Amino acid sequence: MSRALRWALGLGLVAVLLIGALLVLPFRDWLPGGTVADIPTAQVVNGSDFNRLFPAPEAGQQIVFTQEKRGFAEARLKQGDELLGLLAISDTTTAPAARSKFSVSAEQLGGWPLVEQGSQASALLVADRFQVKVIGQGSGLNSEKRHELLTAFDLKGLAALKSARAPKALPAGSQPPLRLPLPKRSPEQRTPEPALQEAA
Amino acid sequence: MSRTVLERLDRLPKRNLTVLALKGISTLVPGSWHNLTSSAELISEVIGSSDPELVGQVRARADGLSNARHEGYGRAIGLYDAVNRSQHATGGLRILANATAGIPLLKRLSAITPPSDTLQAVDLSLKVAAEMLAFTQVNGLPGDSFGDFTAALAEYGSEARVRMAALICFDALLPLGDQALQRLDGLLGSTSQADLHRLPAYERMAGQIPGRGDAAHLGFLREGVGQWSGWAQGFIGELGLNGQKAVRALEGTLGPWQGRMDQLAAFLDAFTDTYAHTGVQAVARRLVERAAAEI
Repeated sequence: MSRALRWALGLGLVAVLLIGALLVLPFRDWLPGGTVADIPTAQVVNGSDFNRLFPAPEAGQQIVFTQEKRGFAEARLKQGDELLGLLAISDTTTAPAARSKFSVSAEQLGGWPLVEQGSQASALLVADRFQVKVIGQGSGLNSEKRHELLTAFDLKGLAALKSARAPKALPAGSQPPLRLPLPKRSPEQRTPEPALQEAA
Repeated sequence: MSRTVLERLDRLPKRNLTVLALKGISTLVPGSWHNLTSSAELISEVIGSSDPELVGQVRARADGLSNARHEGYGRAIGLYDAVNRSQHATGGLRILANATAGIPLLKRLSAITPPSDTLQAVDLSLKVAAEMLAFTQVNGLPGDSFGDFTAALAEYGSEARVRMAALICFDALLPLGDQALQRLDGLLGSTSQADLHRLPAYERMAGQIPGRGDAAHLGFLREGVGQWSGWAQGFIGELGLNGQKAVRALEGTLGPWQGRMDQLAAFLDAFTDTYAHTGVQAVARRLVERAAAEI
């Protein structure tokens, strides 16, 4: 192979790669890595559904919503200017490790498994899917207070979200069955053959 | 792959001009400011425990979240970076115009750079817009009502007091004078679309600013600044901020300054990264708060 041909081939390859990359650029949102753990956002409950399930603040306290994303909502519990704790509900679809930590817990609260993480955080797994967590901040919240806050969430409403919203969990790589709008055949249409035979 | 938010936090400088300038400004704001540059420290502060296993879990989750493009944490950092680059560029232009104004042959250079005040006003409006866009990228639209959302904004404001004080002092009071906020709308009104294109941050942010075309973007910037200046006016009144006070606070950490105020502002714009510095700290805190709740 002549030197010139080798150069031409090399440069051609580089050009093809560059053009290919430029063509893919507008579609990069479709490439993997766009969502947390590569799970489509449609399979994760939106954070706006969690807002109404947060506990009502006690007298003198305030609940300020701070974050609302797919599968996550967080609020701060404040007394005056002092931050007491973080309250959060998250969908564990994107975090299987968060769900598996409950399988070894013996404690329960309100019928749902309870886990303590360190000295300031308590978490509850509702309907085997939603994690409700209270994390004390600053001077902190003791565990009774945290448990009281956890039960003050609308846990029934949260459990109901699973049946209302949960898509069928499909194994990775498979697609939901196609449902074509075929007309249902009625029984008369289904058995024309015997009639024909009798006539013959 | 670009750096995650926590890596960016760990790489922030512990002591340089930016940190000193912020320290100076923080003396004007009640409450102490701490230059947060360690992700481990931030994580153990949020979860209230320094158990290495828990810290590791939070860090892994936070990295996963900041690598996911859909989540917006990386995009928010990108906004702050764009604004920072624009700040350096305009600061450099202003210093150049200042320095060359006295030299006969180079006088034309200061004539072809756009009027300093207009450029500064557009730069400020881009920063305010970046702040709002980054807020929605990082926090979503929290709550079910407009009241919840404004409460979240106020909460963010109290957390970001030092960065807001720095924004008001470095980008409004020092370069534009004590009547900066009153002049702002007029200055933006006289801005042409060509002025907008002189700012490198605009090119980077244009895709994320609502509306189509430069005129719509300019409208959005004006409206955003209008909303923001109402809040900023209250903030200035509450803390009693003015240019003189800002200069004195900065002299406390940076050393004596004998030039004009707008020269100090140009110098700070060109050589400090206050906006990106505090931006990374703010995004990292929100990210860790989320990761701690999700592990």
